[in-house]
Amino acid sequence: MSTQENREKLHVEQKLAIESIRKFLDSKTSYDVLPVSYRLIVLDTSLMVKKSLNVLLQNNIVSAPLWDSKTSKFAGLLTSSDFINVIQYYFSNPDKFELVDKLQLSGLKDIEKAIGAEPLDMASIHPSKPLFEACLKMLNSKSRRIPLIDKDEETHREIVVSVLTQYRILKFVALNCRETHFLKRPIGELNIISEQNVKKCRMTTPVIDVIQLLTQGGVSSIPIVDEEGVLINIYEAIDVLGLIKGGIYNDLSLSVGEALMRRSDDFEGVYTCTRNDKLSTIMDNIRKSRIHRFFVVDENGRLVGVMTLSDILKYILLGEN
Amino acid sequence: MDNKDASMLDVSDAVNHSDPNGTAALTESLSQMNVDGAGELDPQSITGRQRSRSTLIFDDDDEISPYSNHHEHGSGDVSDSDNESTSSTSDRDSMNINGSDQEVEFKKEVQDQFHQVDQPPVQQPSNTTTSSNTMVPVDITWQQGGTKAYVTGSFTGWRKMIGLVPVPGQPGVFYVKLQLPPGTHRFRFIVDNELRFSDYLPTATDQMGNFVNYLEVIAPATEVTGAPTTTTFGTWDSSAQSQQAQQQNLQQNEASIKVENQPLSARSRIALQIEREPDEMGDGFSRFHDEMPQKPQYDYTQDIPAVFTDPTVMEQYYLTLDQQQNNHQNMAWLTPPQLPPHLENVILNSYSNSQGESNENTSGALPIPNHVILNHLATSSIKHNTLCVASIVRYRQKYVTQILYAPLQ
Repeated sequence: MSTQENREKLHVEQKLAIESIRKFLDSKTSYDVLPVSYRLIVLDTSLMVKKSLNVLLQNNIVSAPLWDSKTSKFAGLLTSSDFINVIQYYFSNPDKFELVDKLQLSGLKDIEKAIGAEPLDMASIHPSKPLFEACLKMLNSKSRRIPLIDKDEETHREIVVSVLTQYRILKFVALNCRETHFLKRPIGELNIISEQNVKKCRMTTPVIDVIQLLTQGGVSSIPIVDEEGVLINIYEAIDVLGLIKGGIYNDLSLSVGEALMRRSDDFEGVYTCTRNDKLSTIMDNIRKSRIHRFFVVDENGRLVGVMTLSDILKYILLGEN
Repeated sequence: MDNKDASMLDVSDAVNHSDPNGTAALTESLSQMNVDGAGELDPQSITGRQRSRSTLIFDDDDEISPYSNHHEHGSGDVSDSDNESTSSTSDRDSMNINGSDQEVEFKKEVQDQFHQVDQPPVQQPSNTTTSSNTMVPVDITWQQGGTKAYVTGSFTGWRKMIGLVPVPGQPGVFYVKLQLPPGTHRFRFIVDNELRFSDYLPTATDQMGNFVNYLEVIAPATEVTGAPTTTTFGTWDSSAQSQQAQQQNLQQNEASIKVENQPLSARSRIALQIEREPDEMGDGFSRFHDEMPQKPQYDYTQDIPAVFTDPTVMEQYYLTLDQQQNNHQNMAWLTPPQLPPHLENVILNSYSNSQGESNENTSGALPIPNHVILNHLATSSIKHNTLCVASIVRYRQKYVTQILYAPLQ
């Protein structure tokens, strides 16, 4: 009976904590959470794709807003999925080397069309809108980031103020909401783990197949398991950047294991958790390191499911109702 | 807004050794570098608003073209006032773009403070120091309840906690008056042993991602207007009361500036009183004025002093300076600095250095820029046919450093 009472207490506490976090997110605007001074890297759409890749790697970022200087307009975000599109295009059209080599950022839309990829609907939001609204809009757009767009008062041109990512928001919550300590229900109860249809691969799978899995599933990483289903590594969408860093797309015949050798040394590792872990622990880990998803494993290390940042964010914004 | 303009002057006084020609020369050097194809880049599009445009190079590169006609400023009054007008207008413009929101947000609080806490600033003891390291009195108020409130922040190195005093008659409201140096300060409150931030003050995340309050303390322009105002986060100017107060201030100070803000003895106070009375004594008599040393009158002129035009006069002038100062850097004045000193610390350069140390900085937070480097165009050297330009602009009460990569075509 006492465990039952205890469970109920946890339940109520978690509900109250979630409500309080939600209130907090609603009371602050995206502008409020910007640092006093920060940098924003913007790429001109006439820049070549292979050069933009160098810029991203140089600056240790994985995405950047694009600027069309002919129309003086914001032209969307460059993300790892754009590079994946190019790889897939080149893989099915190996004769188009010249085109791919000289491709400008403005040509990415054509590539997208050519391979029939579903364009990410690019939502944007004004910086003075509440964070809660920005998060909702980001979730609905199925994108992992949302650009903050304002208008210059003099020229009436769009200005890109910043880009919010799921990670930034969750880290912000983890750092600044004490309420996260009260999220003590096991995540297995919360219905936020994807267990069905989790795409996975083996170390010997060709990397191009893994890349195809990424786009098919619309996911940002593919877990690599051994023959017993034990999680041994992951292949992330951003690993693609390192793969094609050399500029030539002829490494696509590599196996995913070989491709992972290209990964930089500061790779954080794969974060795992169990169904019994609490969201408070999860948030604590988000606070400490740059994590984008947790793989849920059983006591033998076998892959059970995956919990992404959007699962967590969705729960915080909409769960417990 | 007056305060802000004035503070701009204060600092630029210290650093503004570049004459207006400096900017021209820099633009010249830009075209020498063959980047005037940049017309296509449309630098306007980066910032939307760039007033004073000059270039500076980050990543200490060898491509700084020496610019020839850069003068050390000698005739301070003329060139300074010239800078005053330009800088203050541009600053005011940008404040207009940014300001309004914060004002609205705080107006209520400020007025509260005005009634409850602050005596009119006229009664503040006037600051006798006028140098740039002046401390500015700042009110910090906590008004969201609690029984004990402290403030801690960048001004105490986040170690010491400063206790706030409850405001009588207003439960849950606390305040403290701090003397802070001009600049941007970050702080948080500790209320009943809980780390909190105020909903009534500007907020931002720091480099680690912590949510903090911040405020920009602006140096009062003591030297020129002599008005020792209490800066309450620069929000005073919005209310009508403050304008009155400032006007009072100005009037008072016209008198007090003559005695140079020294602490007044009883005698001099009487003298001051007399001085304030009208000179007209009636019956056609007017007050006798002792022959005060007249302040030299300066005139604006269009003639360029010979020291700038005639090389022999110039040499003579600097040789005399050398001898007077007795410094042994012979002919140091012959080689002008490559950049105005304030442009040499580019915050973007410090970013790449700190990047290696920690992965914490996920929001791209940068150090807070000195306002004199706002609206300048910085470039890196052209590598792989890619030009990288950067510009720091204000976005409301914050600073965005936009870095644009574009191909060189």
